[in-house]
Amino acid sequence: MHARSRALALLVVFALCTGPLAPTVFAQEKAPELENLKKQMLQMEEQFRQLQRQIEKLEKQAAPSGAPGQPQAADPALQKKIQEVESKADAALAASKKIFPSQFNPSISLAIDTIGSYKSNAQGFNPGDGTGTRDAGGRINNSRPAGADFNLRTAELFISADVDPFTRAFATINASADAANNDEAALTVEEAAIVTTRLPYNLTIRGGRFFADFGTLVHRHDHDLPFVDRPPSLDVLVGGEGQTNGVEVSWLAPTPFFLRASATVGNKFGSDFRDGVSNLNSRPIKGLTYLGRLQTYFDINDDNNVELGGSIAEAPSAEDVMHTGRFERRLVGMDFKYRWYPLGYGVRQSLTVAGELLHDVGDADPLNGGPRRDVLGNPVRQGAWGGYVYAEYRLSKQWRPGVRFDYFQLQSEPLLVTNPFTGLPASTLNATGHRTDNRTWTAYLTWFPSEFQRLRLQYNRSDRGNAQDANEFFLQWTAFLGSHSHGFSERE
Amino acid sequence: MTLVWRNRLWALAFALALVSSGMARAEEKIYVVTTLPDLADIAARIGGDLVTVESLAKGIEDPHGVPIKPSFLPKLNRAQVVVVMGLEYEHSWIPALLSEARNSKIMKGNIGYIDVSLKVTPKEVPTDLSRAKGELHPAGNPHFNLDPEGGRLIAQTIAEGLALNFPQHRATFEANLKAFLAQLDAKIQEWKVMARPLRGVKFVSYHQDFTYFADRFGMEYVGTIELKPGIEPTAAHLVELVQNMKTEGVKVVIREPHFSEKVPTQIAAQVGGQVVKLPIMVGGVPEVKTYLDLIEYNLRTLLKAAQAAGVTGKV
Repeated sequence: MHARSRALALLVVFALCTGPLAPTVFAQEKAPELENLKKQMLQMEEQFRQLQRQIEKLEKQAAPSGAPGQPQAADPALQKKIQEVESKADAALAASKKIFPSQFNPSISLAIDTIGSYKSNAQGFNPGDGTGTRDAGGRINNSRPAGADFNLRTAELFISADVDPFTRAFATINASADAANNDEAALTVEEAAIVTTRLPYNLTIRGGRFFADFGTLVHRHDHDLPFVDRPPSLDVLVGGEGQTNGVEVSWLAPTPFFLRASATVGNKFGSDFRDGVSNLNSRPIKGLTYLGRLQTYFDINDDNNVELGGSIAEAPSAEDVMHTGRFERRLVGMDFKYRWYPLGYGVRQSLTVAGELLHDVGDADPLNGGPRRDVLGNPVRQGAWGGYVYAEYRLSKQWRPGVRFDYFQLQSEPLLVTNPFTGLPASTLNATGHRTDNRTWTAYLTWFPSEFQRLRLQYNRSDRGNAQDANEFFLQWTAFLGSHSHGFSERE
Repeated sequence: MTLVWRNRLWALAFALALVSSGMARAEEKIYVVTTLPDLADIAARIGGDLVTVESLAKGIEDPHGVPIKPSFLPKLNRAQVVVVMGLEYEHSWIPALLSEARNSKIMKGNIGYIDVSLKVTPKEVPTDLSRAKGELHPAGNPHFNLDPEGGRLIAQTIAEGLALNFPQHRATFEANLKAFLAQLDAKIQEWKVMARPLRGVKFVSYHQDFTYFADRFGMEYVGTIELKPGIEPTAAHLVELVQNMKTEGVKVVIREPHFSEKVPTQIAAQVGGQVVKLPIMVGGVPEVKTYLDLIEYNLRTLLKAAQAAGVTGKV
């Protein structure tokens, strides 16, 4: 109520003020909803002035012989007409001053992301590798089984608004069909965070639940990825979206070029129970996950640019829910993005080549819980590598084909002995004589009928360490309702 | 190990901050960032020697689809004022940049955010907002810069905005505004005479951006190649458009530089008309270096095309 009356007072100030620029009182107010009203007011003013001119004209016509400045007894019909016009103008002006409570509603958008898929056969690593349950052939299944499937992956509500002159806030609420719950929609708060807007020294603080600042695609929502699926390496090494509950401080360096740094502390990083760590149990200070990221960007020229970044996630002394012992989680990542985007026609023709390289040097044992030890009982680091690289070409405003290659090594490599100098496994061979790894080759084609609708066809071929190849086909259909605007970190 | 590395990073960042703050101090002029080059040209006229002006977008770009380059952030971070067209012209890129620029002074609604559409009476304000109608501008058509009278309002709003931010220089801004408007007024008189043959000339364009221009000079908009704002044409729409152009006798097809040449050329060929490439911003073609050049170039090029197509009205 208080805000409403304040806004009303401001409008009155506006009506009195002939200049279109607001007095400083308004300038200090943060009420972007008033922008539109202001515009309407100015239009009304203009209309009012036009009407006044008409009235003056009519008055002159009514009194052609009258001496200037002398009030004339005008034709009563004309006077009635003038009164009518005046009352219409007054009514229009009054109408434009109305304030509706809904004008303070936050901006809302909904993303609907649905996928039809087919997988040629179930896949698993060879016995002795990896985690998961064994199938009849003794293989380890850690991916979706074979067959066809329609999946409403996302019905995601995004809400955001300024809270007050000092902060804004946003939330992403996802209600996707949950196969584990008889396909009933499971409501999850993916993100809900408060962000400062006017801290000094170029600082911004974000607190709550959010996708942590690590790499480039880890903090993207599923439907915002350039592909249907998240690169498998990110799924394995991070655990899906890099969600955390915590606090982040980010800083934009006051340099002539773009340089941004962020530091985050949170409960966990990635999906729940990733390395056994979740939001459920409290932990000592050293059991929290600490993240850092540094990124920069250079324009090679008007049409070519490069973006580089480095990230780290470190939990010095994490513990899983089973309390099977403490371990360290450490994940480092490097990312790059090259873009050719000719200024004159980049909307129709451009190229993006980007990738990330991750190295997990933590010492968690995902198979048995707690820290990993080799046969001699020495602690051993995972030393697993993973990453992806993709290239996407924009053929027109509507069509974008692309290719991707993804590679990861399993973290739960069967261990032999530790190299005493590096702390890494001395041998990376498994039962088949190969390092347990996976390659995925991907080709995809995206069609944008408009900015708010997208269809994507994708083909994946993955090998599960040459244990078993599988072909996967996806057709994704995505639509965005409402005020779908991309933030800085979701830029293309 | 990690901690040492992290400390080093912070030390490096700190050193960079010191260096750049020293650079900022050396700069004494008022730093004005504009979204589009037209605004930069006019702001430079109003600010004169007191300002350094930089436009984020270049004239050849699609103003609705400017890529969000991180290199814009240091500029916006240092900007003392930002000048935008408003009417949601830059909605796809400027809000994301401003919210990341960490400069609360230039946030929308604050004193350093100069929206030049404030004095404009918007045309084509949609009465029915639905995405079924394409990428609508809810506040109305934002291409008022193509009308020289729009240029007048832009100049006035920039002058008032600068004076509000730097009241100590008000007299200079007002004097510069007066000089600019005198030049503009003289040009407008000249253009009115020059544009007489264009009165009643019917045309289509790729995007609906010549409304204010057409209204000013008495031309008639018949349609757009786009199905709806921001939506590429369908085959059926093009058939209908060509049919309509034949019925109406349209011989002039305007192509904005950031759109493909193919479809406009095909359509013009089907009606026996002329394609004319017209910039919608300063710098859209190499010849157009200032705001006054922009209007002049568009008028002259259109006149030439209309004459070649044999559709000029009686003078």
